[in-house]
Amino acid sequence: MENINTHTPQVAVSQHISSYKLLFTVFAGLILLTILTVLVSTTFTFSVSLAVALALMIASTKALLVAYYFMHLKYEPRFYKWMVIVVLALFTFFVIMLTIDYFTR
Amino acid sequence: MEHSFSLPNSGHNFDAEASKLGMWLFLFTELLLFGGLFLVYMVYRSLNHEAFIEASHHLNVWAGTTNTIVLLASSLTVAMSITALQQGNKKRSLLLLTITFIAAGVFLVIKYFEWSAKFEHGLFPGMEHYSQLPTGERLYFYLYFFMTGLHGLHVIIGGIFLAVVMVKIKSGKVHKDRISLLENGGLYWHLVDLIWIYLFPLFYLIH
Repeated sequence: MENINTHTPQVAVSQHISSYKLLFTVFAGLILLTILTVLVSTTFTFSVSLAVALALMIASTKALLVAYYFMHLKYEPRFYKWMVIVVLALFTFFVIMLTIDYFTR
Repeated sequence: MEHSFSLPNSGHNFDAEASKLGMWLFLFTELLLFGGLFLVYMVYRSLNHEAFIEASHHLNVWAGTTNTIVLLASSLTVAMSITALQQGNKKRSLLLLTITFIAAGVFLVIKYFEWSAKFEHGLFPGMEHYSQLPTGERLYFYLYFFMTGLHGLHVIIGGIFLAVVMVKIKSGKVHKDRISLLENGGLYWHLVDLIWIYLFPLFYLIH
């Protein structure tokens, strides 16, 4: 009875299944990067801008790993990657405009 | 004769792809919300560099590191619970989501202790000690409380989202062939993790 009106949804999405092993490898990488960023900031002394650049580079690598593997971005259609690029470009644009604004005052 | 048709909003015109796309679009707005706050941080930090470093010494690096690891682990368990449900293993999926839920609680408890310590030192905006700090340090703490507070709110919302997903998995509404809600809950949870990935070095690790 229940199935009378359940017209099967078109299974347009071919689901990718990530293996536990892959997910765990990514997690291990994220932990290593976390330890690295803490060590870098607590044990070494760099010039300030280098320290910030390093911290942001490590953070962005982590963010990329999370988006790519945990959020399945790697297996999404190219359209999704383009959307992410557009959003990041928009944010970069904000950063540039704000920087120009502040440093030309 | 068998007629099969679907009315709008009858629940039978389910579209997994559109559901996922909608979630991603929402996540972009979240990114820009926090992005705006990071811009404020960038400007104030560049104007008050020494004060930001001085103020950041009040934060406990180990509490921050522990919370980073807790969030990363919870992201792993959400991703694994999706894999489990895709393979039809409902029980394992629920177990992994429960672990995620507990991790969210652990994160908030650690955050609670961190905030309490700041309250005791009178560092919350409006408190006496706070008002006597130099402008740069006041800005740092203002941003610290605002950004970690907004992030904490996202942790709470994400936890509720995942709890709802767990109930629906239990009742069989979310299952192997209709996994969107779990996937979207997972996406939201990963966003919470993503934001923390940037908050952590920018507030705790400046020396």
